Amino acid sequence: MKSLKKYLVYPCILLMASACTDLEENLKGDITTDISIPGLPGGGGGTSDVLGAAFAGLRTGTANHGSYYSVQEITSDEMCIAAKGGDWFDGGILVELHRHTYTPGHTMIKDTWNNTYGAINTCNELLAGTSIDDNQRAQTRALRAYFYMRLLDLYGNVKIITTPGTDAPQSNRAAVFAFVESELLAALGVSEVTAGTDFSGSVLGTAVNAYRINTYSALGLLAKLYLNSEVYTGTPRFDKAAIAAGYVIDSGVYRLCGDGCKVPNLGKRPAVATDPVELEGYAAVFAPNNENNPEHIFSVFYDEVTGPDMNFSQMNLHYSSQFTYNFQNQPWNGYATLEEFYNSYEDGDARKKNNFLVGNQLDFGGSAILDYASDDDDIQLSYTPRINELAPNALRESGARGSKFSFKQLGRDNMSNDYPIVRLGELYLIRAEGLARAAGNWDLALPDVNAIRARAKVADLSSLTAESFLAERGREMFMEGVRRTDLIRLGKYNGTWWEKPASPAHVNIFPIPQSQIDAANGTLAQNPGY
Amino acid sequence: MKRFLTKWSISLFLVVGMTASMIAQKTISGTVTDAANGDALIGANVLVKGSGTGTITDIDGTYALKANEGDVLVFSYTGYVDQEITIGASATINVSLAAGQLLDEVVVVGYGTQKSKEVTSAVVSVSREEFNKGPISDAAQLLQGKVAGLQIYNRGGDPNRASTIRMRGISTVGANVEPLVVVDGIIGASLQNIDPNDIESMDVLKDGSAAAIYGSRGSSGVIIITTKKGKKGDVKVGYSGQFGVSSIRRSVQIMDAQEFVAAGGTNLGNTTDWVDAVTQSGQNQVHGVSVEGGMGKTSYRVSGNYRKVDGILQNTGFDQFNTRLNLNTKALNDKLSIDFNTSYTNKTQNFGFQEALRYAVLYNPTAPILGDDSPYPFASAQFGSYFESLGLFDAFNPVSIVNQNSNTGKRREFNYGANFGYSILDNLTANFRIAQQSNVSSTRAYYPTTSHFRGNATSPTRKGRADLYNDDFSFKLYEAYATHLSDFGKSNLTITGGYSYQQNNFSSTTIGLGDFPNNDIDFSNNIESSQDLRNAGFITLNSDASPDDKIIAFFGRANYSFDDAIFVNASVRREGSTKLGEGNQWGLFPSFGVGVDVNKYTQLANVDLLKVRVGYGVTGSLPRDNGLSKAIRVIENGADGSVTSKLSRAANPDLKWEEKAETNLGIEFKTGRFGAVLDLYNRDIKDFILNRTVDVAIFGVNNRFENAGQLNTKGIELALTYDVVKNSDFSYTTGVNFSTYKTVLDSYVIPQEMRAVLGAPGQNGTPMILVREGQEIGQIWGPVFTGVDDKGAPTFQDVNGDGVIVADADKGLEPNADFAVLGNGIPDFELGWTNNISYKGWNVNAFFRGAFGHSLVNTWRAFYEPRVSSQSSYNYVNTDLAVDGLTSARFSSLYVEKADFFKLDNLTISRNIGLGDFKGISNLNVSLTGQNLFVITGYTGADPEPSLFYNGATDNGGVETITNPDVLAPGIDSRNNYFSTRAVTLGINFNF
Repeated sequence: MKSLKKYLVYPCILLMASACTDLEENLKGDITTDISIPGLPGGGGGTSDVLGAAFAGLRTGTANHGSYYSVQEITSDEMCIAAKGGDWFDGGILVELHRHTYTPGHTMIKDTWNNTYGAINTCNELLAGTSIDDNQRAQTRALRAYFYMRLLDLYGNVKIITTPGTDAPQSNRAAVFAFVESELLAALGVSEVTAGTDFSGSVLGTAVNAYRINTYSALGLLAKLYLNSEVYTGTPRFDKAAIAAGYVIDSGVYRLCGDGCKVPNLGKRPAVATDPVELEGYAAVFAPNNENNPEHIFSVFYDEVTGPDMNFSQMNLHYSSQFTYNFQNQPWNGYATLEEFYNSYEDGDARKKNNFLVGNQLDFGGSAILDYASDDDDIQLSYTPRINELAPNALRESGARGSKFSFKQLGRDNMSNDYPIVRLGELYLIRAEGLARAAGNWDLALPDVNAIRARAKVADLSSLTAESFLAERGREMFMEGVRRTDLIRLGKYNGTWWEKPASPAHVNIFPIPQSQIDAANGTLAQNPGY
Repeated sequence: MKRFLTKWSISLFLVVGMTASMIAQKTISGTVTDAANGDALIGANVLVKGSGTGTITDIDGTYALKANEGDVLVFSYTGYVDQEITIGASATINVSLAAGQLLDEVVVVGYGTQKSKEVTSAVVSVSREEFNKGPISDAAQLLQGKVAGLQIYNRGGDPNRASTIRMRGISTVGANVEPLVVVDGIIGASLQNIDPNDIESMDVLKDGSAAAIYGSRGSSGVIIITTKKGKKGDVKVGYSGQFGVSSIRRSVQIMDAQEFVAAGGTNLGNTTDWVDAVTQSGQNQVHGVSVEGGMGKTSYRVSGNYRKVDGILQNTGFDQFNTRLNLNTKALNDKLSIDFNTSYTNKTQNFGFQEALRYAVLYNPTAPILGDDSPYPFASAQFGSYFESLGLFDAFNPVSIVNQNSNTGKRREFNYGANFGYSILDNLTANFRIAQQSNVSSTRAYYPTTSHFRGNATSPTRKGRADLYNDDFSFKLYEAYATHLSDFGKSNLTITGGYSYQQNNFSSTTIGLGDFPNNDIDFSNNIESSQDLRNAGFITLNSDASPDDKIIAFFGRANYSFDDAIFVNASVRREGSTKLGEGNQWGLFPSFGVGVDVNKYTQLANVDLLKVRVGYGVTGSLPRDNGLSKAIRVIENGADGSVTSKLSRAANPDLKWEEKAETNLGIEFKTGRFGAVLDLYNRDIKDFILNRTVDVAIFGVNNRFENAGQLNTKGIELALTYDVVKNSDFSYTTGVNFSTYKTVLDSYVIPQEMRAVLGAPGQNGTPMILVREGQEIGQIWGPVFTGVDDKGAPTFQDVNGDGVIVADADKGLEPNADFAVLGNGIPDFELGWTNNISYKGWNVNAFFRGAFGHSLVNTWRAFYEPRVSSQSSYNYVNTDLAVDGLTSARFSSLYVEKADFFKLDNLTISRNIGLGDFKGISNLNVSLTGQNLFVITGYTGADPEPSLFYNGATDNGGVETITNPDVLAPGIDSRNNYFSTRAVTLGINFNF
């Protein structure tokens, strides 16, 4: 026995001491606890708080391929992704979005759900802690309400989770609406929005910072919520939408970016005389250097280095458009505009020139760009507004390409244009529609609509209908991720357009992702019709 | 827990100690020699039958022990037949032992050896003579096809890619799917640090009852490697050399320029055979020198091996130098034996770019290699004088890839192990083992400023790219165990008990950056010149270090034999790992086995052996990564300097061991020239660990690791041998091994899902493999092709007959989907057939191998065979299966092909050449080996070997990641595979 101890037990003790049975795992290469360190006041992005991760949740999917932006845009009549042979066929999921034949297994519908709840969780974690002050708490609640507003709009019937790690029963769409409304009202410190409501006492304050939520941002979000109230709850609240939007417009804090509101054109090719030196008016609102634009009320901060995930240059342009902008990488040749939508702009419309690339494309030096792999008749790269077919063999140069969030020379995959969630231009349109539809009189929309048209250098309209209003809204809000919601609200989503047959009403709410229903052990019910 | 374990192990030792006894009467001594040549046998066992006392022979083969007249001495030695001699008047007993027969072969099991007949589990021992020959890049290839149930595949044969090894198919989903490798007792030693020339034998523990002694890592089987040891005597110097050439056996069938233009392809006016332009005749050479000998109580073997392989793709191959020392000695009156070995490998790898093969297949055959030959104006200088199709997705000039870029690596592995065995008593030995291993590897890739492929040559300013990667893996192992033998008349009992501690550490660094001034030098060696340093967003940096990843175990085993005919083995290992949730770190891995030499009692006529054995054992599977039970967060660095974080994976503190319980029934039979071993097994893997989708609303992120399901595998393995002719001049031996298994997903947290997407262009949303609870794994699932419509699109079968065809790729799981099982990625059965013919000094060994019943998704065809007009700038794949008029690429049954094959895997003709009176060299043997000489298959792709996992789809110059293969998605012949090769090798062996 003694000898055994000597030979077996002692070596163990000598070599490893208490480590003999110690299995504590101390991770060295992974972060397991929350880290939150505020930034410097006045630093880039203009913030100095610990809300970075929460607001960064907005970046995911809002302006790149594969989730929120995609499901909002290519289900609509303003954007499609045509299959170019195998390229961009993607097993048919893009055609499904276009034709509204999506099902619970759709990966983009799934990723949108996951991204949104992930962003909600980051807000919930902040709210569960004690590191934030009252203003930040109100901002975080408003931000979370906005994410729930996306779920309300997309999926309708969802779980409202406000404490990390806990479950809650699935709420119906009206209850989700009520939750979003109450959270925004609570952040604003009021109990309801009426004509005379005083918002000056809101803890959100009025300091202008488009990357955070102030009183005007929250009101803008409320205006968007109320505008769609009839769709969400059956009860219209157009009056409240108009009041909320009007309060912001009338505050005078923000202004439409018109003549004289300009920035240097970072996409300018010195050898191409037609490239303007500066971008002015509408174009300046969406330019790569659009930070501090007077029209931006609440925006997603994008930056090629510190705020990645805006990829419009890659998503929209043909591979060889790389040579126009000296892009660091080849684009992907995916998204294009429907011909009919492109043609809805009149030629003098400043928005038409800004929003689309069409025709022969020139490289940085002003020479024609050649595409030896071209599948149409000539080898010069030339975008045609007409797209021959949605699938399977759309021509690779077909379709006008979205350039609203304009490109800069030497641009990277990740763009630096800030992306507006609430901007003054849209609030004009919300007030216009709110006033008109509350009163049942489209003439009431004319002043605000014409203000928008004036900025776009097109003549005033003398009359409006729901249809012409929707068209105007489309021209203004192209690529801003609202078209699906607008079509549903104005009753056109189930109609027909190019390569799209009529669709049943149940598709106005997306299916709940099957993988989440499977994971939820019976606590999530599928939306009707799927 | 700690106290319990200590108590448990100490009481085991107590039992061992108390059974020791000492009786001493008269001293008997003698010498034990080899009957064939009279050489002394060192370390032969000499036991007094029934007493439990005994000794072993020394360096000269002599022994001495005390015993009574009338006692029976049992002499035994590994690989030799036992002899029993009753002690008479003489005090000297010399014995010569004859080389052993089947029954007495010794197999290596965990922490010891056993005679073959005492084994109660499925263990197969493969000796050096049976190894595969020819160009062998890693030790696993030596065993390919040799062991029923052990699948080893190296699809295509990229010299820098390790073989895929599976024991009895899929044994786990998210963990270590490769068998555990034990080299000279060192658990988890690297297979890369052993030169195939230095291996004496390999023992494969197939079932759970044998592997259970290795506990948490035994689920995927265990391969125990024994390296060659020195033999005492004069210094012997041996040389073994090999020279071979290899060529493409088969690539993908594509069109030449003429056919391509005729089929409507975009004509760029040239004629280029891209595959020919990037491939070469492969070459390999091996030189091995070994020196062995011994003086006094010490023997040694030192070897150096050099291997150089150039693959069939230009600029691929490796250069490896390995050296190994094995030293064995005795001290303290022979009570202490010391076995020391150390090995060092220095490998220089030229990984090259497998992608070049892929782009060679799909590149327009009318495109020129050089830009100056372009029919259109082309800025050749910008692309290093090469032509590029700039407007096309996923197309890069393959010759430019191969010639302009570099992708090289260095790998150094060092390990040593020392085992100290001490005979405390004649029947009690203690062992202490210490081992360490260190692997360091680095890779560097450089893409010059003129390379379109990853070099960003189209960028105006930011050109060139360098990728650097380093990693460092090390482990240390300490083990202590004791073995006690006791003998009670007809019964024998061997008890082993011990402790094991192993710690693994891993760290890595990745750097990727670009924008280099020019290509005067390879700027991966001068990254400080990168303009990206002014532009941090362009730089890719990653570093990682594992925690101290520990495995701690207490183990014990008892082997009991009765009447030399009934054998009972039982073992238990209690093992803990840092990788699991607190409170679930310790697992218990028991085993039990019984074997009966039935023929000892039945005495059937002409039957030499009839043994039945049953074993049951539980093993585990350790997850690959660390920290799985914990929540992982990622940092969000704000532009203003703020730092916040968000969740990227949710915690699961309840994560517990994945366990495999396996029952194996074996029957071994031998009569005259015919032998058979049959194994039947059933195994249940429960609580397999997988990163699964969870309710994102609750967990805040949609994934965490869970014990996600249960798999069941049932299988049969049969090995037959027959000595067709056996006489002194001529012999012919043939052997067949056959295996089949079926794996069913018994339960899964998700009722069904589809995995493994086809990829880009255009098929990223096309999953192909069905995973459904209650069904077999590996089912290829998709629409059934019926024809072509007038638009050139495929039409599909209305499988469920409801009049509506639902065949969209993402609708495979809808209740009304018209999808069907199109094949299975896992073979129905596999076959290995060995033929060995000896005639005088000649030997011919022909090894045939086949796999049957599996299918492969031919992804080449799925993308490039339809004549898609918008893809007319890619070459078209052109097999007999091409469908006229099909102009749309959509996955369907059309691209799922049966991949049954039967091939002459290895044919070796060798001759021992008599040298007469010539004294310079001896034992000269010359051999010629052909690999893959013929393959019979209906598969139209490059290689019909089963594809056992899915590595993800890569496209457009993306880098393939091979870290997390998806074993639930077999059956996909991806576009990242090498072409299969044929090789002819000349081998020479002799001693100085």
